[in-house]
Amino acid sequence: MSSLAVVLAQAPQTTVINLAPGAGTPAADPNAPIPTPPVLWAALLPILVLGIGGLVLLTISSLLKKGAPRGFYTLYTVMVAGLSMAAAVPLWAKVNGWTKIAWWDFRDLWWQSLPTEAGPFSTLGQAIGVDGLSVFLILLICIAVILGSLLSDDFLLREGLEGPETYALLLFSACGGVIMAMADDLIVLFLGLETLSIAVYVLAASHLKRAQSQEAGLKYFVLGGFSSAFFLYGIAMLYGATGTTNLVAMKDFLSRSIPANNALLLIGFALLLVGFAFKVAAVPFHAWSPDVYDGAPTPSVAFMASGVKAAGFAGLVRVFVVAFGQYAADWQPIVYALAVLSLVVGSVLAIVQNNVKRTLAYSSVSHVGFILIAVEAATPAGIQAVLFYLASYTFMVVGSFGVVTLVGRVGDGRHSLDDYKGLGRTNPLLAAIFTVFLLAQAGVPFTAGFVAKFYAVIAAVDAGSTVLAVIAMISATIAAFLYLRIIVAMYMTDSDGRSASPVSRAERIRIPFATGLSLLLCVLTTVGVGLLPGPLTELSAKGTPSLVREPARTATDGGLTVGTTGTEAAPGQSQQQG
Amino acid sequence: MGQYLPVFALLVLAVVFGVLSLLVSKVLAPRLPTRAKEAPYECGIIPGREPPERFPVRFYLVAMIFIVFDIEVIFFFPWAMVFERLGLFGLVAIAIFAAAVFESFVYLISNGALEWGPIKRQQRSALVSPARTAETTIRRVGLEGRPRAAEEAA
Amino acid sequence: MSTLVPAFAAVFEQTSEHTGEVTGLGFPLLPVMVLCPLLGAIVIALLPKERVDVIRLVAVLSSVAAGALGIVALAQFEPGAPGFQFVSSATWIESLDIKFILGIDGISLFLVVLTGILFPISLLASKPEHDPKGYYAWLTLLEVGCLGVFCALDLFVFFLFFEITLVPLYMLIGKWGHGRRVYAATKFFVFTMLGSAFMLVAIVSLAILAKAGDGGTISFDLQKVIASQANLGTVTSRLIFVGMAVAFMVKTPVFPFHTWLPDAHTEAPTAGSVNLAGILLKLGTYGFLRYGLQLFPEASLYFAPTMITLGAIGIIYGGIVAAMQQNLKRLVAYSSVAHMGFCVMGLFALTIEGVEGSVLQMINHGITTGALFILLGFLYRRRHTYELAELRGIQKVAPVFAGVFTVVMLASIGVPGLNGFVGEFLVLAGTFIAHRWWAVVAAIGVIIAALYLLWAYQRAFHGEPDEANRTVPDLDWGEKLVIAPLVALIVFLGVYPKPVLDRIEPAVRRVLEHVEVSTGRELPSSRKGADLAPLVGDGHGASHPPATGLDPGAEAEHAEADR
Repeated sequence: MSSLAVVLAQAPQTTVINLAPGAGTPAADPNAPIPTPPVLWAALLPILVLGIGGLVLLTISSLLKKGAPRGFYTLYTVMVAGLSMAAAVPLWAKVNGWTKIAWWDFRDLWWQSLPTEAGPFSTLGQAIGVDGLSVFLILLICIAVILGSLLSDDFLLREGLEGPETYALLLFSACGGVIMAMADDLIVLFLGLETLSIAVYVLAASHLKRAQSQEAGLKYFVLGGFSSAFFLYGIAMLYGATGTTNLVAMKDFLSRSIPANNALLLIGFALLLVGFAFKVAAVPFHAWSPDVYDGAPTPSVAFMASGVKAAGFAGLVRVFVVAFGQYAADWQPIVYALAVLSLVVGSVLAIVQNNVKRTLAYSSVSHVGFILIAVEAATPAGIQAVLFYLASYTFMVVGSFGVVTLVGRVGDGRHSLDDYKGLGRTNPLLAAIFTVFLLAQAGVPFTAGFVAKFYAVIAAVDAGSTVLAVIAMISATIAAFLYLRIIVAMYMTDSDGRSASPVSRAERIRIPFATGLSLLLCVLTTVGVGLLPGPLTELSAKGTPSLVREPARTATDGGLTVGTTGTEAAPGQSQQQG
Repeated sequence: MGQYLPVFALLVLAVVFGVLSLLVSKVLAPRLPTRAKEAPYECGIIPGREPPERFPVRFYLVAMIFIVFDIEVIFFFPWAMVFERLGLFGLVAIAIFAAAVFESFVYLISNGALEWGPIKRQQRSALVSPARTAETTIRRVGLEGRPRAAEEAA
Repeated sequence: MSTLVPAFAAVFEQTSEHTGEVTGLGFPLLPVMVLCPLLGAIVIALLPKERVDVIRLVAVLSSVAAGALGIVALAQFEPGAPGFQFVSSATWIESLDIKFILGIDGISLFLVVLTGILFPISLLASKPEHDPKGYYAWLTLLEVGCLGVFCALDLFVFFLFFEITLVPLYMLIGKWGHGRRVYAATKFFVFTMLGSAFMLVAIVSLAILAKAGDGGTISFDLQKVIASQANLGTVTSRLIFVGMAVAFMVKTPVFPFHTWLPDAHTEAPTAGSVNLAGILLKLGTYGFLRYGLQLFPEASLYFAPTMITLGAIGIIYGGIVAAMQQNLKRLVAYSSVAHMGFCVMGLFALTIEGVEGSVLQMINHGITTGALFILLGFLYRRRHTYELAELRGIQKVAPVFAGVFTVVMLASIGVPGLNGFVGEFLVLAGTFIAHRWWAVVAAIGVIIAALYLLWAYQRAFHGEPDEANRTVPDLDWGEKLVIAPLVALIVFLGVYPKPVLDRIEPAVRRVLEHVEVSTGRELPSSRKGADLAPLVGDGHGASHPPATGLDPGAEAEHAEADR
């Protein structure tokens, strides 16, 4: 208790974490209060806002007899996500040691109960951690929700599927994603994963008029459930190896003792990786993604490819890079293989697709490979690259699927490459927007995609994986070919139409307001980050993950007592105080 | 292992009871089968084709809703055992849980999940594609009993 | 460690202290020059597509403005001054020390001027067959990329501009090209991007591995990387050199990587061909010079025989294949392969004459091949074909056209008195000093060039015009005005190349001295004098030990003494 601010990395590891059942509780007294962890509600606020927001949305829609006015659900969802972001801003400030934001000194707020010191902290018996990584991803996931719901607005109207369900599911799934991003305990991580996944399964199946959508939902559900089982089994193995499911305690345990036989640990790593690889769709666990992306309603796909992936990578980074960083030599080869396979298979299979949605699905697999090379680096620079990539990819992919939503027309079924022929002539604006996103995904300079790839390559080379970086860049070239195919279809396969024949009304696609707003945001961010990568770089550099012990409580609490408190940052990372 | 003995005993008892009752009815019951008795419907009319083994999907829905609330109750039991010792923390936790489940009940009611009368509110789910598509492996059920879909297909 | 580098750096920091300011001028010349066409592109994008004339005007004006600024730079350029001039820098990504540093020396100066001249001319020389708005917008964007590459003094920024040239040219070929345009454009894009893939990893590795010497921070600043490049091991630097070289070899193109070029050239619209041949190919050789020789002196020496061999193969192979072509544009494309072979050969001869000749050859090739493609564009406008079989007797019906074509063709062959001769002669002389026999082989290439070009001329221009060729009109005044500056340059550079060489030489000498100092090896007879007189070195260079220029003052003094 005296060494409150001692950083564990500097102090000798002498503390004992006592998490054994019944420990500290006098077994003799059956009526003694069960120790409960303290709750910092402010830290949970982003989760609560999203979850309760979803529930309230369903309640409102249930109570309204005549249905909500047009646009209400979208507006509501955007506001809830915005509120969640707003709730995350003080956390960000806390983590970075700010006392005020602009003119607003937030220390006067009601939740001064936050630990007074700046820097990352944890709560709920160190099951929930608030650090740079979690806050960054809260913001990112909320942005994905906002963009996704804006796309959904006109889509649902067009398809005759209006209702609150899509929005509620978006919010619930984001809630799960945020839980994943904040989880410092494998059980909580699993809880978040399931909350996220189940909502997304339903989202995938939510186009009631398309058989493919139902099929996609079913496939996603079966395979996702399968992967969740792997994940859970991995948690069990790790519990067997270390005696805890808490990442902080696990890391402590592993740094204190070297298991004579680490078979359980390694099996646990492998199973957890399978679970994560399923969620982020890395080869060879990618098989579901083209079918699901193809079948699911396009705006939901936009969210799946952005928000869900971000949450998956949050878990991956926190569990492997941070908690098991010490065992990097054991899991890095697996991630290496996953990265190479995802890069190569993703980009090669994307080339042979004739359906734009499937093409984008495979290309997203190859992007996952790119993010994995940054994960493989297992360095702070790698984590920064992961966050930067996720952030810029969110905008690129939501934008891409936004255009696909519009070109899909009523029925959400016109996604073949032929449907894009001559788009540059019939809908110049839409084609130009799509070109920006495609070029950004291909990694052309002055777009966010290029900078993201650049950081990933830097991280990989810095960690000594030059070969991996070369493979990544070559596969990026292969992938560039597929983006070119779409561009060719839009601009260059219109030889008969060269005579500037007037564009018929049926060919022209109206860009509705909400979708247009979403596309505008995506284009501005994609190009803006490409031109001025500084701010996002700073932001992602602050997204440092750390596993922090919860401060010790008074003796009467008993139970989950930790002797010292301290911060253990990512390997080799010094805390950046802003 | 001693503490698990009652569980094993119960298991054995359950199996023995099940086997025994089946065996006894097989041995003791008189069996006089006739053709009419073996027909699916003992109403005197000979069926022209195999009877469709279907019943409203609503049964499943109700069963699922039931399971949700069943599980809620299951969670209530352990909480009720220790709610004094858990104190406010437990109360808040169970309240959040109960509120979430109750909300789903409100949603179900408002969407007519428990209405058994003629379909009023479910116009959204008018099925467009009754045919089996080339892309999907899901087999759609036939047109029988779906006058609207049949009209659209025709 | 190189003693030159601190001197370099001192000058550089001196000029970059007041960022955004330029020696002698009140405003940041180079950033404005690079931004001119960008502004043009943005304006074009905002104009309605029906206003074709306005769009064309904006495109021409913006590129003329950039060209004028390039000429201002040429006029203000101090020939003897060491280091880079007109340097201005702005921080871009702070954490990685990536800065927008723009600056030029004697090598890049003329490439910038060439870009500034060739772009307006190519804009004036041809009109797109459809969708003029996009055409002009992409062309002006292409100019931004080209100017940026030549001015960039930061590895990251260099790579950015190097890559960004891909997209406009891809669109130009793919949308406004002929025949198999989509195939050609895609091939071009994929080939070049594959090369760039290696280069990006090489640049990143270089920045990361070199940082150890510079206080441990990553930097992409060219000067800083040069200063700390000695930290690299021999094998590492060779590997990184190969990574960079792949990109440059694809872009140049050097022999086994050349196959995209004929397709891209043949199918590209006239302006695309002109700029592709005139400027974009130089990105490769310029990259070799600036980022190959300067960053990896040891590796350059090590790979020099290989590169010279590839250059020689390019010269002979390009010539022979060009002689076989039935398509006039394809023929010129293959002749580019041969000419760029000369550039590569001269560079890796690593003698003053060779490198200087190589730089001059880049400029000359830009002018002559640019002019050839413009003329072919005129021909296509009249006959809608490039096939030699369909052309006959043009000389009779269009004498002025044939005359201009002859001059340009002779320059391309390398006839004395025209510009092509000077560059090729210097390259051959420089190569002869270092690698005698390869120079002999390359000299055969000059003869082959005469063979295929004269033969092609004979087939297309001589004889009696048949039915289809009888009505070919001669050049009109507009066309004459467009081609005149290039012909003037061809003659001027052929007769009086001294002003150009005077400016190139100090920069080239500095590069070679850097190579000598950092490898500790005496290069074969690099002259230290600024004059052209003793072409074959004879120990004249040895009288000046390479370790000169401890500080800018000494460097200047040294240059003074040499003169």
